Amino acid sequence: MRKHFIGVLAGMLVLLCLLIVLSLSWGQMAIPFSHVIDALGSVVGIAPAHGLTPNEEAVIWHIRLPRTLVGLLTGAALAAAGAALQGLFANPLADPAIIGVSSGASVGAIVAIATGLSAATMFALPVCALLGALLAVSLTIALAFRRGRIPVLTLLLAGVVVGMFLAAVSAMLLTAVSENKLQEYLFWTIGGLDYRRWEHVWLGLFPIVISVGSICLLARQLNILSLGETEARAVGLPVIRFRLILLFLAALATATGVCISGNIGFVGLVVPHMLRMLIGPDHRRLLPASVLAGGIFLLFCDIVGRVLLSGTEIRVGIMTAFIGTPYFLYLLRKQQRME
Amino acid sequence: MADILLDVQGLQAGYGGRQVLREVSFRAGSGELIGLIGPNGAGKSTLLKSLRGLLPAEGHIKIKGKSLGDYIPQDMARVVAYLPQHSHVPFAFSVREVVLMGRAPHLRWWQREGKQDVRIADAAMEYMAVTDLADKPVNALSGGQRQRVLLAKILAQQTPLLFLDEPASGLDIFYQEELFRFCRELCQAGRTILLVVHDLALAARFCSRLLLLGGGRLLADGKPQEVLQTQLLSQAYGVPVFVDFHPVTGHADIYTRQPASEQRLLPLLLGGAG
Repeated sequence: MRKHFIGVLAGMLVLLCLLIVLSLSWGQMAIPFSHVIDALGSVVGIAPAHGLTPNEEAVIWHIRLPRTLVGLLTGAALAAAGAALQGLFANPLADPAIIGVSSGASVGAIVAIATGLSAATMFALPVCALLGALLAVSLTIALAFRRGRIPVLTLLLAGVVVGMFLAAVSAMLLTAVSENKLQEYLFWTIGGLDYRRWEHVWLGLFPIVISVGSICLLARQLNILSLGETEARAVGLPVIRFRLILLFLAALATATGVCISGNIGFVGLVVPHMLRMLIGPDHRRLLPASVLAGGIFLLFCDIVGRVLLSGTEIRVGIMTAFIGTPYFLYLLRKQQRME
Repeated sequence: MADILLDVQGLQAGYGGRQVLREVSFRAGSGELIGLIGPNGAGKSTLLKSLRGLLPAEGHIKIKGKSLGDYIPQDMARVVAYLPQHSHVPFAFSVREVVLMGRAPHLRWWQREGKQDVRIADAAMEYMAVTDLADKPVNALSGGQRQRVLLAKILAQQTPLLFLDEPASGLDIFYQEELFRFCRELCQAGRTILLVVHDLALAARFCSRLLLLGGGRLLADGKPQEVLQTQLLSQAYGVPVFVDFHPVTGHADIYTRQPASEQRLLPLLLGGAG
């Protein structure tokens, strides 16, 4: 597995560089690869950019680079949170949506839109979404907390209940808002990377780096937790403490990802799953690999969504579902065959 | 019993409002191989769990002279290793990775396993004869192999006390006996093992001492020959139980007789013309 891991990591790094160049080059206005590479070179100060028109420079610098970076950050955050939750619940089918993050973020977003805050400042919507997500996760955990323990099944059920309740709250708020606000919400709820600006990058960078970095630091504890509660307690791990810390970190990563890109499903479920088959379940390898692969997967989905239909874009939240669903069905079928 | 590792006085335990164990008291010293026997639901697993601090219990429990409540989880795991009754490994961790997890109680939260930990894990795997399987995923092993891997894991924990909940369940006759031989060897080396056994004959052959639980109480405590008495066992199991010791090997032969009520029901169940 060790050799495997280094090979997979190297392959992913190459793929990442390739996708970044593609992402900067493709779109409504095609920019030649040589210009993109020139532009990247000038950014790191290797050489001045030749032949790059001011228009191209503006597109790369103000549109495509922030878009690419937001995609990488969100993909990394969602995949790391997914891997952490799957380990935490000792269940390979857990997903960030399961603890109420997305539905909480949705309610926060609607509140921001309905009150007109989102029109006043561009930070209102992401910040409200983040608060909503964290509140929803806290509510889920509080409902599941009994006598100093968080039983996994109760937590999953609490997540479903909180999700359903918040969906009803969203629906109620939506029936009360005007049509153009409805449009704005709909646009947000299908996650997308278009119109991302440097502000989104800066907004997401620190929470995601801190939460994903901390999750990676706790990889050994995550390994032990993934053997189940009894085994973890048997080797002296304070289970409740680590579960709470990891839940919070995963919620922070997911909520930040959702808040800068909107709701994007399947990354947290599919990416860690795929990597576990390639490099094994040890979180010390799985987590860094998931971070990389999550970014790659989201960027790939975004690029495909940009070039698939000419003249219009398919938003990345739709693309991840289009690519993720068949893969997930394939996994389920494969598992059934094995049983 | 010069040094008492485990001192239990008036233990009461249960689940929620339902009391399963009442007034259990005993002591265990180093080198003892203690078998917990009794019918289903007698509280054998409950006893192990509450001694390990996994279930809340009343009464005085002291491990190495220190009250159970005074232990922090990590210190506890350096003194007692616990093998749960049902272990299910949901992910494809390799055998080596699982055995190394037994070293967790000896590491700070930010530490990784070092060379010494790897050496100990390797030795534990070799002792349990699973070195060949080191790189295989645990969830692809047979029941017997997996049980030996989990035993290697708790050996790597290097604790003076080991609590094993039905370690022999699901193993074939060879692995069962092998497991008991391992346990006996460990106890001869000074470890203390408390284990739940269903097979009374095996318990009699290998354990240095038996605790018989029945109806939530400790009914008997002593050498196998003293505990495996017709009267005691019949009381515990609620049916007539007979014990014969083989005159040459000294092995116990334990059997029950079918209650008359079941014999009466048989013709009805078989649909015979009554």
